[in-house]
Amino acid sequence: MTLTAERTRGPAAGRRGRPGRSRQGRETLLLMLPALIPVLIFSVGPLLYGIYLAFTDARSGRNSVTSFVGLSNFGDLLTDGDFWASFRIGLIWAVSVTVLQFVAALGLALLLNENLRFRAFTRVLAMVPWAMPPVVIGLMWRLVYHPNAGILNSTLQGVGLLDHNVDWLNDFSIALPAVIVVGIWTGMPQTTVVLLAGLQGVPRELHEAGHVDGATTWRRFWSITLPQLRPVIVTITSLDFVWNINQFGLVYVLTQGGPGGQTRLPMLFAYEEAFRYGFFGYAATLGVAIVIVVLAVLGIYIGRQMREVS
Amino acid sequence: MRTRTALVAAATAIAALTAGCSSGDGGDGGKAGEPVSLKFLSLAWQKESVAANKEIVDEWNKANPDIKVEYVQGSWDNVNDQLVTSFEAGDPPDVIHDDSPALAGFASRGYLLDLSGKVPADLKSDIPQAAWDTVTFGDGKGGQGVYGVPFLQESQVIIANKKLLDKAGVSVPTPEDPWTWDEFEEISKKLTKGDTFGVAWPLKSPVNKALNLALNFGGTFFQTDGAKATVKVGPEEREVLQRIHDQLYKDKTADPSALGMGTADPLPGFYAGKYAMLPASVYLRQQVVEQAPSGFEWVTIPPLKGTSADQGAASQTLSVAADSKYPDQATKFISFFLNSTNQAKLAKGDWLLPTSVKAASDPSMTTEENGWNVATASAKNLVVAPYLKVNGFDEWKSKVATPALQQYFANKITLDEAAKTLVDEGNKVLERYNK
Repeated sequence: MTLTAERTRGPAAGRRGRPGRSRQGRETLLLMLPALIPVLIFSVGPLLYGIYLAFTDARSGRNSVTSFVGLSNFGDLLTDGDFWASFRIGLIWAVSVTVLQFVAALGLALLLNENLRFRAFTRVLAMVPWAMPPVVIGLMWRLVYHPNAGILNSTLQGVGLLDHNVDWLNDFSIALPAVIVVGIWTGMPQTTVVLLAGLQGVPRELHEAGHVDGATTWRRFWSITLPQLRPVIVTITSLDFVWNINQFGLVYVLTQGGPGGQTRLPMLFAYEEAFRYGFFGYAATLGVAIVIVVLAVLGIYIGRQMREVS
Repeated sequence: MRTRTALVAAATAIAALTAGCSSGDGGDGGKAGEPVSLKFLSLAWQKESVAANKEIVDEWNKANPDIKVEYVQGSWDNVNDQLVTSFEAGDPPDVIHDDSPALAGFASRGYLLDLSGKVPADLKSDIPQAAWDTVTFGDGKGGQGVYGVPFLQESQVIIANKKLLDKAGVSVPTPEDPWTWDEFEEISKKLTKGDTFGVAWPLKSPVNKALNLALNFGGTFFQTDGAKATVKVGPEEREVLQRIHDQLYKDKTADPSALGMGTADPLPGFYAGKYAMLPASVYLRQQVVEQAPSGFEWVTIPPLKGTSADQGAASQTLSVAADSKYPDQATKFISFFLNSTNQAKLAKGDWLLPTSVKAASDPSMTTEENGWNVATASAKNLVVAPYLKVNGFDEWKSKVATPALQQYFANKITLDEAAKTLVDEGNKVLERYNK
């Protein structure tokens, strides 16, 4: 989004005369100042402080002395098996939640876009997960997954699919998939809304033309709807990916990273390093590393999509 | 970091100055005109225990209008994260309820006030040295200090279904002559019939339980060489791990589906007769009393004996924050809060064991009702848990030991593999703290 904004601004500013530009620039700065100050204090400041911490050995404690250690935290990070395990889990989580969420949300959006009865009602219903804070969602699903009293076990046993209680959130191999399902459920509303808005922007004439030409429903979806939706899809999947890889609250409530670190996402790992073990410097390094990874992934992905679109 | 520490230091300096001024005006009397207010972070969570805590605080506030204590409710789930942030921000609660494993780390980081010499003599002598050992830690600068007053301890007992024991002809042992682990295994076999398992081991958080019980066979899991601690898993350490594993997979007397459960989770199955015995902490008796269906008969079985009946003990504690503006008043409040009468109330409220010798001899602590006599008698088996003195134990526990032991008990890795992980990975973790 910023890329295109800057591109359009560039030539327009160049056309204006030089002296006028500098005066206007000063005025703009003056007008922006009230908005800039909070941004600098509450956003840029902590960010720079966090980056600075990443190069120190800051630890919690009243009698701890902080010194600058250069890149040694990053060196430790690269050889830290726990970090790589957590990073791998983070990628599995972020990619699978984003992809599955997209597929499910697209299906739901297509359905809600049809002229169904009670459409308004179902649309509201589909938004429900959005209205809940992640902590409440976590608590709710913990009850759903409860090994003895959970509705999931009793339903599956009632249908005859299971013959014993499964402890969904404590089983080494099931915990991560179980948490992923909750992640998909949680993020579906906003993805659905955005896709639905996109679908409604697809001109009706195109579909009608396709229909007249005898294209099948599938063919119309593949050749008309999808290409038209493309910018929306790029935006929402990249945003979803960033949200998901930085997910914390939901998983913290569901499993606290357990069992045995099987659901320890990178942010949980950083949180534990900082607030449980007190290694602030190392935790900041982790944060910086994740920012770099996210920027790199997004840069490649968005860059390619933009090039294809233009 | 540096700026924040500087700020905190400045704040403390100002606080110290103002405190100094006010006390300089006229000693204790000077404070009379200026009532102080303390924040007391309590982690009591059982209903009776919260009530007991609040009652004692009210009593104090009535007797001491100058030192007002505000009860703040905390939770065991996130207390240590909460405390780290409030310590770093320089605004911690004055009086802090926590447990000894957490104190070790806080003490070495200088967050807590050293109470040695500050605790009144009668309270000091009422609590045995073994309990004081659970709150004595290094101060991170080469010295030692007492960083809290220990008041509640727990031991591991076995809660059993009386009817199933009677049916199998098993008699309940006395605290003087407890079952050995071998006898326990035989009896578990006798009790395993049809749908009923002899025992359920809820091992969702296996580390503290395993380490505390390992002392039955002298397993300490850590050896310290000066200030440096390393992990050790020898034959003594393996004994209890192997025996629990055998019950699960060799004898098949323990229900494997209870493995992922937390301490209280097997209770519904226990009431339903699915398990005959439940190794648990003494406090679980409260839930059994409250929730068991009418007509359900149960007994408390004394701790098992290996080469000894020793169990590792940690304590619940009250500490004073180093940043507290009123450390003397806070210590005074703790001394009142933990006198023997109040300790008996608190122990009853939480169904745990008081550290106070006088409180333990209270008739309500020695009655046969609800197994209090067995529970109170088990206090003599408690020795300070070796892991308390290990800097970095918490990280070792959550990163290395919890997954390794969970996998071992789930029969995914062998004991040799688990031991190797505990030692190799464990020493790597401890290395960071030994620097």
